[in-house]
Amino acid sequence: MSEKVKSRRFKFPEEASVIFALLVLVGIVGAMRPTFLKPENLLNLAASYSISALLAGCIVYLLSMGEIDLSFGWILNLSAVVAGLAMIAGVPVWIAIIFGICAGGFMGAINGVLTVVMRLPLIIVTLGTASVYQGVSLISNKSGSVVPTEKKLTENIFFRVLGGDIETPIPFILIFVVFAFLVLHLTLHKTRFGYRILAIGSNPEAARLAGIPTKKIKILTCTLMGVVSGIGGILFLGFRGAVDPSTGANLLLPVVAAAIIGGTPLSGGAGTVWGSLVGALIVGVIGVGIVFLGIDAVWSTLVTGLVILFAIGVDQIVRVRKNRAS
Amino acid sequence: MTIKSRHARFSAIAVVTALIFSASAVATPAQAAQKRLTIGFVVHVIGNPFIQQIIDAAQMAARDLNVKLIVTGPAGAEGDAQLTAVQNLAASGVDGIATSVPAASMVKGLNTIIKAGTPIVMFNGLGEGVNGPYVGEKSVESGRLLGKMVLDKIGGTTAKGGVIVGNCYPGFPVLENRQKGVLESLAKASGVKIIGPSDVKVDSAANFAAWQGLLAANPDALAMVGLCAPDVESIGKVNAAAKSKTIGGGYDLTTGNLEALANGTAHISLGQTPFVQGYLPVQVLVDSIRNKIKINKPGFLNSGTEIVTATSVIEPFGSKPLTFAALQKMSASKALTRKYYDPLVKSYIKDWQKNLKPISDESA
Repeated sequence: MSEKVKSRRFKFPEEASVIFALLVLVGIVGAMRPTFLKPENLLNLAASYSISALLAGCIVYLLSMGEIDLSFGWILNLSAVVAGLAMIAGVPVWIAIIFGICAGGFMGAINGVLTVVMRLPLIIVTLGTASVYQGVSLISNKSGSVVPTEKKLTENIFFRVLGGDIETPIPFILIFVVFAFLVLHLTLHKTRFGYRILAIGSNPEAARLAGIPTKKIKILTCTLMGVVSGIGGILFLGFRGAVDPSTGANLLLPVVAAAIIGGTPLSGGAGTVWGSLVGALIVGVIGVGIVFLGIDAVWSTLVTGLVILFAIGVDQIVRVRKNRAS
Repeated sequence: MTIKSRHARFSAIAVVTALIFSASAVATPAQAAQKRLTIGFVVHVIGNPFIQQIIDAAQMAARDLNVKLIVTGPAGAEGDAQLTAVQNLAASGVDGIATSVPAASMVKGLNTIIKAGTPIVMFNGLGEGVNGPYVGEKSVESGRLLGKMVLDKIGGTTAKGGVIVGNCYPGFPVLENRQKGVLESLAKASGVKIIGPSDVKVDSAANFAAWQGLLAANPDALAMVGLCAPDVESIGKVNAAAKSKTIGGGYDLTTGNLEALANGTAHISLGQTPFVQGYLPVQVLVDSIRNKIKINKPGFLNSGTEIVTATSVIEPFGSKPLTFAALQKMSASKALTRKYYDPLVKSYIKDWQKNLKPISDESA
């Protein structure tokens, strides 16, 4: 085929097939329960899953590098606790928000430094730091919820906009997360930092020999995960108006599942940020679909697990075939 | 990677998911020809024996009142996931929702749903500030009662020694209230030293390991007091394994807990009448929807406290006396449970409006 003809061929985006799967799922649930398709329901669904989607968008970076962080849920929790306690103590809301995000970044940096210094995979390091961050959170909040209740706090525009007191056609949290996704996508695919992450994931030794500062990139990526988890914590605090001792405890599975369903392989070397958004929406539609279809709780865990297992299994099969072909 | 294989891959996901959804939807009972009320019932954890007793009672209520009940909840207790489940139910168009409220972060979202017109009744876990009635025990008072009973067993106000206290879910308001009550009663003995409260985890294996560690670290402890459903059974197993005579007390009347009382390895368990906590919220919702009764403000409906030792069973609300053996049989039989509580359904539960008290009564 000539070069001209080749360049004219329409190239489907990488995420086309997973978007197709999402539309099919929405269509199936909508056909069985038409109320599901009401725009306000779809927007509320997207808003409810937007924080886990944001985390999935960032965990793509770590997965692309062949790493995984087990502590991000507790970083989210502790960041929200730091910000909430600061607000209650009288710190201006926007300063408290910066404290929370910085706390998240600091925890992410700790993960990165430890993994480099101890020469251990991030998964092992964060197995420990997850408990550390959870423990610090429980000590800080005295095992209770952090609830900013003072009027001067709840009437601050941060709580009013995120919490939905000021109605917007599209929930603000959704607008913010989509914007964040744009930044994450451009950073991974259009910057030197992003290319280096993908290079490390493809072949760490080759990347090192090519002069890529692998340790520095690892620390920066972990810090980024911490910052985004911190932002997630702040969004949660504004969206729900409180943070509980268990907030973030069960985010690991849906976030990682979202990234993998979206097309990011566990083996590293590639990643799709937009795909993880679609993956998070698929996880959300499965959860909502179970309720809309009246599926009993006893079945719902099985259904969710089967779909996720199937997605991961197919991912593995396709990757093995791809490796054989190359 | 070719578009063909990716396309096929994700199309396969969608088709399989559709099949699973369809199969699951077909597997649930078909809806009646005429429109029945649909009530959502959201618990904070699936697969817990005590919570299952509550669900069983709710399902009995749904059958008796001819309503459809959708039971859902997160696999692991997390407030945000549970709130999302409640929101999904409201969006699906259920007529009313009963939910436990284990997290303060659920309150705002629940009030939004109530404001939009879907009535909500809470059970088992109170969300302070939610504009709806709450069905549960008087948690501080039950803690005081448990503390007093344990104190009586270890020598009363002259007792001297350590008492281990365990909380499986630190921060959960009802448990914090129970803890407060237990510590208040134990404080009456100046010679009693409190060890803890320690986090003893909800998962049964982790709970057992936690109690085992606590007893190993404090072999001379006079008593072990738990605040959650798995504790009495774990304490019993720990006592049996260590051949210890430490007094064991806690909550809930699951089969495992009753067995521990029966074999003497644990000594006191307080029930919170899961039948009432499951049945009454459904009754309140159905009555309020059918008879247009407004329930959009806080209120308290006491589910009562059952006091059980190996030799006596005291049921609340003047219910028929039970022997321990009968209670054990009942805990394993839904039919026997429904039959036993039938007088309560026809009186206390049916007349819930008369029994509705201010929310402040819950922690009095």
